[in-house]
Amino acid sequence: MSSHHAYANLIDDRPQDGVFRINRRIYNDPAVLEAEYERIFERTWLFLCHDSQIPNLGDFIATWMGRQPVIVVRNGDGEIGCFINSCGHRGALLVTRRTGNVSTFDCPYHGFCFDTKGKCVSARNRQSGWKDDFDIARFNLRGVAKVASYRGFVFGSLTEDVADLETFLAGTARLIDLFVEPAPAELEIVPGFCTYISNCNWKLMHENGPDAYHAPVVHRNFAETIANREARDGLQGMAKTERGRLTARIESGSYEVGNGHTIFWHERIDPSVYPIYEHREELSKRFWPAQLEWIIGRGRHITVFPNLLLNDLASSHLRTYRPLGVNRMETTIWCIAPKGEPPAERAARLRKFEDFFLPSGMSTPDDIALCEEAHIASFGKHAGWFELTRGDAFRSDGPDDAAKAIGMEPLASTTSWDHELTLQGVYRQWRRMMQAGG
Amino acid sequence: MTDIDLLADVTAFLNREARLLDAQQWHDWLELYCEDAIFWAPAMRMEGGYTNDPELELNLIYMKGRAGLEDRVFRLGTQLSLASTPLPRTRHFLSLITIDLVSETDVQVFANWQVAWYADVRGQQGRAGSYEYVLRRTDEGLRIAQKKILLLESDIDGYFDFYGV
Repeated sequence: MSSHHAYANLIDDRPQDGVFRINRRIYNDPAVLEAEYERIFERTWLFLCHDSQIPNLGDFIATWMGRQPVIVVRNGDGEIGCFINSCGHRGALLVTRRTGNVSTFDCPYHGFCFDTKGKCVSARNRQSGWKDDFDIARFNLRGVAKVASYRGFVFGSLTEDVADLETFLAGTARLIDLFVEPAPAELEIVPGFCTYISNCNWKLMHENGPDAYHAPVVHRNFAETIANREARDGLQGMAKTERGRLTARIESGSYEVGNGHTIFWHERIDPSVYPIYEHREELSKRFWPAQLEWIIGRGRHITVFPNLLLNDLASSHLRTYRPLGVNRMETTIWCIAPKGEPPAERAARLRKFEDFFLPSGMSTPDDIALCEEAHIASFGKHAGWFELTRGDAFRSDGPDDAAKAIGMEPLASTTSWDHELTLQGVYRQWRRMMQAGG
Repeated sequence: MTDIDLLADVTAFLNREARLLDAQQWHDWLELYCEDAIFWAPAMRMEGGYTNDPELELNLIYMKGRAGLEDRVFRLGTQLSLASTPLPRTRHFLSLITIDLVSETDVQVFANWQVAWYADVRGQQGRAGSYEYVLRRTDEGLRIAQKKILLLESDIDGYFDFYGV
């Protein structure tokens, strides 16, 4: 039972009737996941890594594109390539470390060697096994169809049939620009990472990011804890965590970007707690007031469908996801910061990151718990459909003034960060891709 | 004090901390920590090994001062944390308790640990790792000046807090 319509019918999108519903089967049906691998993960751009993680020739990162293990490597010409992490000879997993530096990839099974462009440069005991005219190029590693990077964020696609990366990123590109450009040099991944595994469908976690509606409920305990700490210790400046977003009515907005991507923002009640505030003088020489408003005055949250989350809310970070099964998923999270930032700013950034975002932090565990519990609830087949209609009445097509000010052109805008049009956008794209067939 | 006496003291102290955590007696547990105690669980580096500079590198938990632990105890008390309500039950198992270094003021201690963890809905989970303690010798007996927790796993299954490691 895997006709294309069967999956498309799991999303009931009828704007003319004021209906947007999702069937919970999308979270727990193994056939859905199988189709997602083929029609989503193998048919679009996927985030691979950040430029700064592989700065030198021969640096590589082993990661995944959906279920396929891949190696991302900076080759001898300084370009970034990506190969299936499988020996061209008999298919052994070529690289088992997360990252490293090589001149050649040497297979641990039969000793074949490949250069950083994937070319087979040595088949062991070639003379005694093959005739002289045998071309070992047939063992070359299988490259992925496309690799491109945007402002240091490296993406790959397993199919040629994708738009260029910037077109794919659509409106998120403008906000990525404003994420990157304030840094005097570039951004870098702060050393150290965290990978965590959750017992839920990957889409529940992907939804949890752009869903700002949950924050004042699920993270109220965080806001209370921080308020208690700040009162007790009389904290000032960067040592503080802005919690206005969790407790007060604030100005905010969100966008259906297109291609399944989402953006929301919120006004920062106290911008002075962020390290970037220290640089406002210098930034005001380089950016227009409207851009400064976005950079200093607003918390920003971006998701790029299907596997990247980038945000600068409590602290700046990026996350990538992959399914491990229909009911299990993996998230990897890094802190991202301006290269060479002053130690006091780096430390303040890190402490706020560790406070909130990790499975050992004071907020992410609550998100994980609710995603896992939502997964359990998804088996309640007799309550099979749920609605995503919050904010429909406030939706307007195209960019609002905040978006126009930075040249961002979303499909639709709304007046609050906690409206559900972001999630409608995710599932419209999901439906489109699942319908495309295999 | 002989080496054997000190090891007996240290062992009793570590056991006491583990029992207080399992008994969820947070306020007695906090008493074991110096005011300026560091509670530290480093993250892993992509290239392998643990991060080692908390000011410049990521940690799973890094709190300077007992107040950071008090924050986490406060958070559990709000009853609003989904991940901690109801509180998972834990049992700590310690082994290889070893004294690495003794000075007039401090004792550095190594131990391996395992924690069995059970939460309603989410079920059973186990974690393991090692501790590196700096215990301060005070008039009231030993107190924790630093507890460094090195997790065995680089991919963290589920989530945890101070009582689950």
